[in-house]
This record gives sequence, C-alpha cells and structure tokens, in this order.
Amino acid sequence: MDKQYGLIAKFDTPADIMHAAEKVRDAGFKKWDVITPFPLHGLDSAMGLKRSVVGRFTIVGGTFGLTAGMLMIWFTGGSELSLPFMEGYKLIVGGKPYFSPQFAFPVAYEMTILFSAFASIGGMFILNKLPRHHHPVLKYKDVRASSDDKFFLYIENEDPQFDDEKTRAFLNDLEPVEVGELEE
Amino acid sequence: MSADFSPNPKKWLLIGAAGLAVSLIGFFVDTQIAAWSYLIGLIFITSIAVGMLFLVMIHHIFDAQWSVIARRQAEHYISALPYLGILFVPLFALTYLGGDQGILWLWMDQGALAPGGHGTVATDILYQKKTWWLSETFFWVRAAFCFSVWSYFAWAFRRNSFAQDEDGEAKHTFSSRKHAAIGLILVAFTWTAAAFDWIMSLEYHWYSTMFGVWIFASAMRASLAVMLLTCAHLVAKGPLKGIFNTKHLHDVATLAFAFTVFWAYITFSQYFLIWNANLPEETFWYNDREQGLWWPISMMLIFGYFLFPFLYMLQFPLKVNYKSMTFMACWLLSMNLLDGYFNILPSLKDADGMSFQLFSDWTNIIWYISGVVGAGGILLWAYWTSFLKTKIIPIRDPRIQECLNHNH
Repeated sequence: MDKQYGLIAKFDTPADIMHAAEKVRDAGFKKWDVITPFPLHGLDSAMGLKRSVVGRFTIVGGTFGLTAGMLMIWFTGGSELSLPFMEGYKLIVGGKPYFSPQFAFPVAYEMTILFSAFASIGGMFILNKLPRHHHPVLKYKDVRASSDDKFFLYIENEDPQFDDEKTRAFLNDLEPVEVGELEE
Repeated sequence: MSADFSPNPKKWLLIGAAGLAVSLIGFFVDTQIAAWSYLIGLIFITSIAVGMLFLVMIHHIFDAQWSVIARRQAEHYISALPYLGILFVPLFALTYLGGDQGILWLWMDQGALAPGGHGTVATDILYQKKTWWLSETFFWVRAAFCFSVWSYFAWAFRRNSFAQDEDGEAKHTFSSRKHAAIGLILVAFTWTAAAFDWIMSLEYHWYSTMFGVWIFASAMRASLAVMLLTCAHLVAKGPLKGIFNTKHLHDVATLAFAFTVFWAYITFSQYFLIWNANLPEETFWYNDREQGLWWPISMMLIFGYFLFPFLYMLQFPLKVNYKSMTFMACWLLSMNLLDGYFNILPSLKDADGMSFQLFSDWTNIIWYISGVVGAGGILLWAYWTSFLKTKIIPIRDPRIQECLNHNH
C-alpha cells in the first residue's frame, strides 16, 4: 500500500455533511476539505472558511492596468522618451494636447478591467494551487459518487491534529455511511 | 415593533410646510434665486421618488426574491409622487405671475436677450430649430403628463401590493409584473423628458445625448441612498430588526456601488464626447462650470462622488455594517444634491452672461435649504403616513419566504 494521505468519510445527505463540517471546524482541524456534487449554501460558514483574498490580487491588477494604460498613451503620444527598441513620438490628434488624462482614460479604463480580470484568474490559480492534474481523492474507490448523490469529507495526514486512531474514531462519531483511507 | 417607536407623519408635514413657507417668502424677497433653489430641491426630491418607482419596477420585472422587504419601503416613498406634482404648480405660477416669464426657463420669454449675442430668443436660430419641443403649452402639458404617469404607476403598484396583504392572491403579483414591463418604458421616457425640460432647457443652446441616462443614474443613486438610510433606521428602531439582515444590506449597498460606477461612466461619457467633439454650442456648458467655485465643485464630484464612494464600497466589511453604510448613504445624498446644484445653478446667467456662483451671497443658503426641506418634508410625510397604514413587510407576497431566508 502507498503512503497514507488522509481519512475520508462518506455521507448521504446535505444536512449530514453540514453538521459534520461544523464539528470538524469546531474540533480545530486545519487541513481538510468537503466534496459535494453541487454547491451547498451555508457550507462556507459551516466549514469556517474566511472570505477569499482573491480581491487583493484584483486591486493590484486593476491599479497596474490603469497606470500602464495612462503611461502607454503618454509615452506613445506625449513624450519623446527613448527606450530600448521604442521611441516616444509627439503626435497631435484631433487638435488636442499631446497628453491629457481624459484622452487616455478610455484606454486606461479598459486596461484596468483587463488586468483586474487577469489578476483575479491568476490569483485564483495561485490560491487554489492550480494547475493540478491529480489529487489523492481521485484514487478513492467511491469518488464517482461525489458527482452524483454522495457527500465526502476528508482530513489530511498533514493536519497538526491528525492521529490515525483518534481521527478515525472522531470521523466515526460523525455518523457517516463509511470511513475510508486515502492513498498518496 | 418596540413600544417606543411611534413615527409622527404630522411632524414631517409641519417641517415641509415650514420649508415651503420660507420658499414662498423667498419668492417675494429674492425671486429668482428662491425660484431656482426651489426647482433644485423639487428635482432632487422627485428624483428620489422616481428612483424608488424604478426600484419597484425592476424588482417586479425580474421576479426578484431578496428585495421584497426593501420594495415595501419603496412603495411608501412613491406615494409622494402626486404631491410632488402639486409642488410643481408654484413654478407655473412664478413664470406667469412673477412679472418675468423667463425667470426660470429663459426661452419662455420670447423677448429676452439670448445668451451669446444672438438677438432675442425669438430670433435665435438655435431656439427656432427647437420650437416644436420648447413650446410653452407643450412644456406644461408634458410636466402634467410626466407626473400623471408616475402617479398612476405609483398607485397601481401600491394597490396591488397592499391588496395582496389582505387576500394573498397571486394575480396582484402578475398585475404588477405587467405594469412593470410597460412602466419601465414609460417612466424611462417621461423621466428623460423631465430632465430635458426642467434641467437642460434652462440652457436651451446646449445639446447632450447622455443627459437622460445621467438623470436616471442620478435618481437611482439618490433612491438607493435613501433606501439604505430607511432600512438602517427601521432596523435600529425595531420594526425591521431581525427581518432585514446584513445580507439584504449588502445587496442594497452593492446596487448603490454599481450605480456609482454607472454614474461615473455616464458622466464621463457626456464630458468626453463634448470634450472630444469640441463644438462651441456644447463646450460652453462645461466652460461655465469651470468658472470660480464651480471648478473645485466639479473636482469634488469626481473625487467625492465617484472615487471615494467607489473605493469605500469596494470593501466587503463596510457594506455589511449599518454604521458605515449609514455614513456612506448620507455622503452620497449630499453629493447628489451638490451634483444637482452643479448641473442646474450655473445655467443662471447674469447680465454679462457670467454663471451664477453658489456662494455669491450667503443669504441664498436660506433658499437652498428651504427648497430641499420643503419638498423633503412632504416626501417623508407621505412615507410615514403610508408606513403607518400598512403592514411593515408584504406578508403574503409569494416571494416573502425566500426573502426572509436570504442570508450570507
């Protein structure tokens, strides 16, 4: 047998998994997760999850996009700066000043949105540790039921509180259908 | 409901009457400024009521769940629309009995000197091309029509909602949904027409295709701010405690945030098109608003009415907190009023064609305040009168259970 990854418990109903998640949360486990076939409202708080920090990535991306858009318009049309392979070239467009913020704003605004979206997607990948092609749960014999009508909860070996016997007993106390082992 | 909560509509009627009385004195003492202040106050309060009407219709057209409780508050506010229509009559009286027919809308005085040295209004080519719309009879008929349309829909939604409290019939919901489908179109057209007539025609030379959308955004922002204040007040005082929760608050706040961005988008688009095209009959409008104190006020609108609320409401914790949203709602309302002054008051020109300055004379502040307090008192009087007559929430609405269960 491969190295143990964690312990998994199977439940029949959303209510069961909700109560189980609350107990695991209150027991203070850190490295654990719940797998459900569909989104369950209120599971976030039952698991004690905090709000996602992906918004921090978004604001950084957005600010960068706004600044980059403004600088790009200023550099190409309003400056004579020399950069490697590029040179600013002052150009009059529509009788307007070489550079004005209102002129650059539509582009800078679109860049804000574009880079906000990039940063959000990128941030989501980083926070979820994606891309990831395999997960030990996928090896579990009954995992297909998790996309049908069963609900799973697993606790990893790496959790500081993890102890094979105690955690197994703890999971059994949650009254699941069954408790199984996950392999690395 | 807690026992010590006893709102008094009469108090608001008295406050409103006092404001109207001060405005009336102003009509004799300082006719023009008092009349313009009254117009600004009336448009500000009407925009709140019309925004509430939009909220009710948007709720019905989407068959929304979460907003059932909030909708009831909007239904109270829209009861003020007929009264606001009555408050429009003094403007008619001022125009024809005040001795100067162009006191508010210059084009109504055909003999007045047109701005920009084009002779009189009657010989002004820019007026002649618009006479089909800017005719006095048509103008007053339009105003009456606008208020009639708003009052009719206000009456229909209120009737359906309150009748459902009694019998619980689903037909009222269907009736409201049909009304909303037609009403959204009609109210959008009439509210745009009102913006053209009451605000844009103050300076009839000007063109802007964005203005109707701008006033829609403005009305939504004002009404959502009032909605936030109302719900926060009712939660604090007891009636909605435990019913209206932080998820509802978050949703209303998110709408206020969305319309912050929408308002900025529209306002910038209007400015940008005019700035880019650079046509004299459009740019003068912004040039006037860069003179004197209007320039810092325009900067205040960019940073205070867009950037600050945007960054503030971008943050989740501030949107689920009653105190922080009460502060933001008050801020938004004052900025909305400032935006109203910015759009309307510079259209008032002196003999040299210079724009009127906000604080050119400190006594004007009396008329500014009385204009808003007069119509505002009437709005709150109508709200509390309706509030006391009906159920606090629509208890038999088909969506009420989903709304009550709405949570984070």
